[in-house]
Amino acid sequence: MTTADSRALAKRLLACLVGGLVLAVMWGPQEGSQNDYYFELRTSLGFPRVLIFLGIGVVVFLAMTFWPVLRPFLSRPGVWPFLSGLLAVLAGQTLMHWYDPLGDGKFGTVATAVSQTKGISALTSAYFGWLAWTELALVVVLCAVGIALRLRLAAWIGGALAVIAAVLTWYAQHSVVAKGGGIDHSLGWGAVVVGYLVIAFAAGVIALSDAQVATGRAFADRLLGWRPGLPLVIAGVVLGLLAFYVGRWFAPSSTQYNTDFGGLHAVFAPTALASWAMAYLSWAGWVLLPVAVVLAGIAAYLRSRPLAWVAAAVGTLAAIYTLATLYEFSKIAARVAPTFGSTWQNLGTGGWMACGAFLLLGGAGYVAATAESAPQQGSEEAATVSPAAPAQVADEARSRSFLTAPGAARSLVIATIAFALFYPPTATSFWQSVLVSEIGIYVLLAVGLNVVVGWAGLLDLGFIAFFAIGSYTTAYLTNSLPIHPPSWLVLPPLAAIPFAVVICLIAGVLLGAPTLRLRGDYLAIVTLGFGEIIRIIANNADAITNGSRGTAVDPSRGVNNVPHPSIHIGPLHITWGLNQLQYWYLLLVLVVIVVVLFRRLENSRLGRAWAAIREDEVAAQATGMNTFRVKLLAFAIGASTSGLAGVFFGSYIGFFTPDNFVLNNSILVVAYVVFGGMGSLPGAMAGAALLTWLPEFLKNQVPAPDRQMWIGAVVLLMMIFRPAGLLPARRRRIELSADHLEEASSAETIAVPSHVGGAV
Amino acid sequence: MTQFLNYLVLGLTRGSLYALIALGYTLVYGVLQLINFAHSEVFMSGAFGSYLVISAVVGNGKGTSSWEVPFVMLLGVVTGAVTAGAIAWSLERVAYRPLRRRNAPKLAFLISAIGASFFLSQLFGKMFNRFTNNQFPPFFNDNSVAFTIAGAQVRVIQVVDILAALVMMVLLDRLVNKTKLGRSIRAVSEDAPTAALMGIDIDRTISRTFVIGGLLGGAAGFLFGLNFSFFNTMGFLPGVKAFAAAVLGGIGNIRGAMIGGLLLGIVENIIPTLPWVGTEWTDVVAFIVLVLVLMFRPTGILGERLGRAA
Repeated sequence: MTTADSRALAKRLLACLVGGLVLAVMWGPQEGSQNDYYFELRTSLGFPRVLIFLGIGVVVFLAMTFWPVLRPFLSRPGVWPFLSGLLAVLAGQTLMHWYDPLGDGKFGTVATAVSQTKGISALTSAYFGWLAWTELALVVVLCAVGIALRLRLAAWIGGALAVIAAVLTWYAQHSVVAKGGGIDHSLGWGAVVVGYLVIAFAAGVIALSDAQVATGRAFADRLLGWRPGLPLVIAGVVLGLLAFYVGRWFAPSSTQYNTDFGGLHAVFAPTALASWAMAYLSWAGWVLLPVAVVLAGIAAYLRSRPLAWVAAAVGTLAAIYTLATLYEFSKIAARVAPTFGSTWQNLGTGGWMACGAFLLLGGAGYVAATAESAPQQGSEEAATVSPAAPAQVADEARSRSFLTAPGAARSLVIATIAFALFYPPTATSFWQSVLVSEIGIYVLLAVGLNVVVGWAGLLDLGFIAFFAIGSYTTAYLTNSLPIHPPSWLVLPPLAAIPFAVVICLIAGVLLGAPTLRLRGDYLAIVTLGFGEIIRIIANNADAITNGSRGTAVDPSRGVNNVPHPSIHIGPLHITWGLNQLQYWYLLLVLVVIVVVLFRRLENSRLGRAWAAIREDEVAAQATGMNTFRVKLLAFAIGASTSGLAGVFFGSYIGFFTPDNFVLNNSILVVAYVVFGGMGSLPGAMAGAALLTWLPEFLKNQVPAPDRQMWIGAVVLLMMIFRPAGLLPARRRRIELSADHLEEASSAETIAVPSHVGGAV
Repeated sequence: MTQFLNYLVLGLTRGSLYALIALGYTLVYGVLQLINFAHSEVFMSGAFGSYLVISAVVGNGKGTSSWEVPFVMLLGVVTGAVTAGAIAWSLERVAYRPLRRRNAPKLAFLISAIGASFFLSQLFGKMFNRFTNNQFPPFFNDNSVAFTIAGAQVRVIQVVDILAALVMMVLLDRLVNKTKLGRSIRAVSEDAPTAALMGIDIDRTISRTFVIGGLLGGAAGFLFGLNFSFFNTMGFLPGVKAFAAAVLGGIGNIRGAMIGGLLLGIVENIIPTLPWVGTEWTDVVAFIVLVLVLMFRPTGILGERLGRAA
């Protein structure tokens, strides 16, 4: 080993050890006080404790150093599913909740409670006592042996154990809930079950595969592309089985509000449930699921278009039927237990899961019906790669998009729609409010900012100012500010949307007109300044905005009592109240409208003009484009989307102060867009959803003040390891993966297919 | 008049601190053409780093005799600078270099810097505390007056701030203009590929530029904490304003950053004292000045000498 090598190694070791120390501090106890600054440092770097983290550093160092030795093992078949399953099991057993009524119902807490409880089955107490970890260790060892030594027997045994472990987990958690009672929303056991099933699947792959290597992407392609729609069928089957056998349904009885689907018929028999809903409970539900599954499955397998359309229709109709039955339930719920929830709330999880399952099955039919004939030979070939040409395969895999399998992207969209429609009613009220006030609003903002940052390439750090303008416009038009509009101008919140959008459009143009001639970085700082100016004006102009509440929280300050939205058109009367679900669906409609519009915009003449400016403004100008006008349009369109979100926010939250519009929020939206993948609409939405979900999720896992620290670390790591973002835009990905200039330019020329190229 | 002078001195003090921070932005911008958004956290780390050492040396500060005070201050400046320099160096290694290797888009750098900024400020909050009014141990009389001009009192600490800032700026100017390192910094900001052909190690130059910016920022962090108070999110507002100052003077231009910082400090402290404004508009003044300058002279007061103009 040369000295240069050993120096590099020493540096790496040092970096790993320092990383271990930083991790020790991050994972440490809470901060000290003003009398004892060093409490956290002292405790987290205390003697026996710090050794663990230094050990982690050493392990990372060894892994990095022996990476060339480890790497061939990682490309063996089944390794990646095995590792992801393992991760799910570990997360489930350490981070996630197992039983909600216990408060901090993590695995350890539940285990302690079980050990103190008498009369619980021996198997359950053994599971929580020692079996869970032993089982996991056994499975890991067996699978690792199977992978490393190519020992099929070990893999088979490991897989069988994993299946047993999944069943045991399910059994143990359910016996805990049966013993303890109460309503349980926890997901930890679910993550463990899914993780074990994935491990079992991986063990099967390890045992069955003849290939020496398999690239994960080729495998995924093959799985998704083998029969378009089949993955959705599988998801639908799983969800449907869960809905009808595990999920809880609303039951109007005085002792319990939930029961299995099997018992529903008897429970509802004495009530005045509509006959068709009764039919659903007694036989239609049981018949519809297998019918839909068989239809969708056969259609997907045979690639038969007519049959697929029939499957799509059956699935959709079944989903609507289920929904209608749920509506009948909710009528009874309102009568039997009015305190228990409003119209659509608290109907249990089963019904919504059944809706989702039917929608997935119908969607599978739709995907099967519309899929283009598959490029079969490409994906089949890539799955069993001859070791001779790995580089070529890597190149091919890199140049192809993430989900190229026919129908894969469409399946994902359908799954997302099913989730967005039918997950929120089953969530706890906490998560419902997170969905609306954090995830939904920020998704809308990110979609708007994506136009400015992602498509036109203009860095806007004052985006939240338009959000503020939208909110204050709504407050003004609904007569909630100290200054009052003329009486003919007082509007309900939803009618304020066009006004707010137009005002933000104008504000965007007013800000953009003098500043858009500036270069990128200057634009960033000017927009940042603009955002701060708007906020401070709102703060200081008491007579107009009623100021902020200050540090001594004064509820009479700030904007209060903005009315909730309502619609009164002809026979249609909808009033939004305190039910979060209503806001969620309103927001969903807004987001869908905006996304559809922007999707059209992306590939329009204007969208291509934005791309041209982003890539090379001088060249764009040379083609005769009015770059200033195009940039201004991007700015104004982004601003008006932000204003739309502001209208929603104002009327949803009812009261707000300038402190809702701090610069931090602007920066966060930029971070969401870039994290998700600049210029990619699904990416921006996914980035915003993920990064707003994460802090709320972490709320249960890490102390609240530390959340921003973890978010920062996640964003930083993401940018280091995947700078193009989560779901990169096609154009950007090609740019980043191209190592040579020639490749980049050729990629740029093929990025716009010739048949969509019109006159610009 | 007295009040005006008072605010002028206050403005000069703040302005010299802004200038020190602005130099960090401008240096990094010079070599990388990037806004180092995490520089405000580098500045913050300086205050905490020097606190660690100073509180260990002077205890509660009661027993410090007057001849020791200059040495303690010097120690504070040095330890603050060293801490922040180390943080800036790690920042470049962790948040910038991997992205540069990968030829990532410019915005990716910005986002990784924002991530690092969140991470650092909250990590320091976790390590020490999250109160917003931490003070250094009172090892000298904070109110002692150095001299009086036309009735306006100039406190010792203000003199120290301004002098320290001036000394460091002069040193930096010498460093950039007279030394070999300075020449390589200028060469990299002029034309990095050509500089590499001339035998300049670009990675090393960039890394050292970060360290220099960090040293200045850390010293400013200590002085800022000594003047006002220090806390884990203290970097944000001075950071934004210092960036505005850097742009005001012409980003990438070292002397511009000094002038921009001083000017911004003075303007934002004097204009709010006018009868029809008010101190609650201080922050607005800073940004409006910035917007106006950019509209009428987009390359700043002195222009972009170090960096390329396009």
